Amino acid sequence: MPSDNRAPLSLKIGAGLGLAFLHLPIVLIFLYAFTTEQRSYQFPPPGLTTKWFAVAWNRADIWPPMILSLQVAAISTALALVLGTLVSAAMARTKFFGREQISLLIILPIALPGVITGMSLRSAFALMDIPFSTLTIILGHATFCIVIVYNNAVARMRRLSGGIMEASADLGANAFQSFRYILLPNLGSALLAGGMLAFALSFDEVIVTTFTAGQQSTLPIWMLQELVRPRQRPVTNVVAIVVFMATIIPILFAYYVTRGGSDTAGGGK
Amino acid sequence: MTPAVTFQHVSRHFGSVRAVDGVDLTIAEGSFFAMLGPSGSGKTTCLRLISGFEKPTGGTIHIFGDDVSNTPPHLRNVNTVFQDYALFPHMNVRDNVAYGLMVKGVGRAARYGKADEMLALVKLDTYGDRKPSQLSGGQRQRVALARALVNEPRVLLLDEPLGALDLKLREAMQDELKTLQQRLGITFVFVTHDQGEALSMADNLAVFNEGKIAQIGTPEEVYAKPRTRFVADFVGSSNVLPPDITRSLGGPTAWSSLRPESLHLTAPGGALLSGPVTSLRYLGAGNRITIAAPGGAEIAAVIPAGQPVPETGQTIGLTFVPAALHVRGSA
Repeated sequence: MPSDNRAPLSLKIGAGLGLAFLHLPIVLIFLYAFTTEQRSYQFPPPGLTTKWFAVAWNRADIWPPMILSLQVAAISTALALVLGTLVSAAMARTKFFGREQISLLIILPIALPGVITGMSLRSAFALMDIPFSTLTIILGHATFCIVIVYNNAVARMRRLSGGIMEASADLGANAFQSFRYILLPNLGSALLAGGMLAFALSFDEVIVTTFTAGQQSTLPIWMLQELVRPRQRPVTNVVAIVVFMATIIPILFAYYVTRGGSDTAGGGK
Repeated sequence: MTPAVTFQHVSRHFGSVRAVDGVDLTIAEGSFFAMLGPSGSGKTTCLRLISGFEKPTGGTIHIFGDDVSNTPPHLRNVNTVFQDYALFPHMNVRDNVAYGLMVKGVGRAARYGKADEMLALVKLDTYGDRKPSQLSGGQRQRVALARALVNEPRVLLLDEPLGALDLKLREAMQDELKTLQQRLGITFVFVTHDQGEALSMADNLAVFNEGKIAQIGTPEEVYAKPRTRFVADFVGSSNVLPPDITRSLGGPTAWSSLRPESLHLTAPGGALLSGPVTSLRYLGAGNRITIAAPGGAEIAAVIPAGQPVPETGQTIGLTFVPAALHVRGSA
């Protein structure tokens, strides 16, 4: 309910400064992608140019991490969609001993610090003699992607009237038809939102990736390495814009498809 | 004639809870059968045993002579009108009704034709394009009915279908359901906790208590001759009289029951029952009074509207024709 008490001016200024502190640096990232000065970030930029986009496009060392990141995000999201949906169905539809505990265990990877998840996965992979590769990165990312999909799907499933699956069976639909015609259409936007958020989360993940990667690097890790080199700095900013777009667009889309509902969960990691 | 549904000593236990416990039941084809009982009495579980959402832990269930004890719901030729209607929220009314045909592979034109026919049957012909969320409770109930009827089931199960409707709508729907059942000639199995609903609609009814059938018979039989104290009390809230009072009223030394509406006001002197009025409740169509009779029994009587109403505390007499006293062997 809106209050009649208006906030004092000082509070408004404070809030404005806070928001500016949070978001101005992002504007600077965009700005420095167009600067003519390539060794240091000086303000204001001595001149503006769009040549760094062409330079970035032609740099051979950007493409492998870019493709790897897309690959990892896509596969771990797909994996999470299947497993997250299945586990949410189990959690929402049945009651069994230890259900609450298992529910907590599923959420845990996103609550745990990435360093812990990363370390534990690294030692587990080493113990099992699994070489660090694209596969291990995907497995690492899937651990938290599942949580995002699960949270979205389970919230939707709880909201659905439990009777509709029974009604479908009652009317003669087999299990596959009930899934295809009743569950999936009702779950669709929640899965889309969960998948988008999971993709975005995976695409800019650094910590777990650092622990589970072998020699290859994903795009965020490439950026981290690039920042310490003084050569062609604005190229990093161009890549940052790409990462920004690749994550913000899915998140906005997820927000759009589930607006009105309160079941977009886990967008904040 | 093969009965529509038979239960042979059917049980459904959930752990140590005996939701349904050794039920024997025969439902004749083409009848309107009511399962009446308080919540937790096993009536809904019995319905779910017929639809296939529960499997019996003991006994066998036949539908038109076929043993369906292990048949999954989607392969049974029975359909259900669910308590909360369970309409598919993402489909419009026509698609909801046509769903049963769609999953069977009936073509679009044919299934929409049939769906519109069903919607006309429940007087919702112009509502096909609406979403369930745009309908009132009574309209949703009709859609649920049309959707369950589209597959032409031989048995239609109704799980407290009128529970969510207001009184006026409920009474109108009772008449409509009864007419519909007679017109279609299919077997209706109706679960309710409302004894008035069961008595007015059913050809036969079973009264459930604690997972067992307390009595089964026509509404007249169950109402006039309750076999147990539970039935006497649950169906029509009869006065349940212990053996000594039965004897003082001219009956044998046995438990008996007496319907409140078969008692009439009379002068206290020489009346069969007399005592001070302990409570008085206005019912609209009459007044319900309770008197404290000798021997500690509380006796309720219904006085039709228009007759003089005694005051609380006033000593009155009650009388009845001897045939109204229904004597049972046991409590």
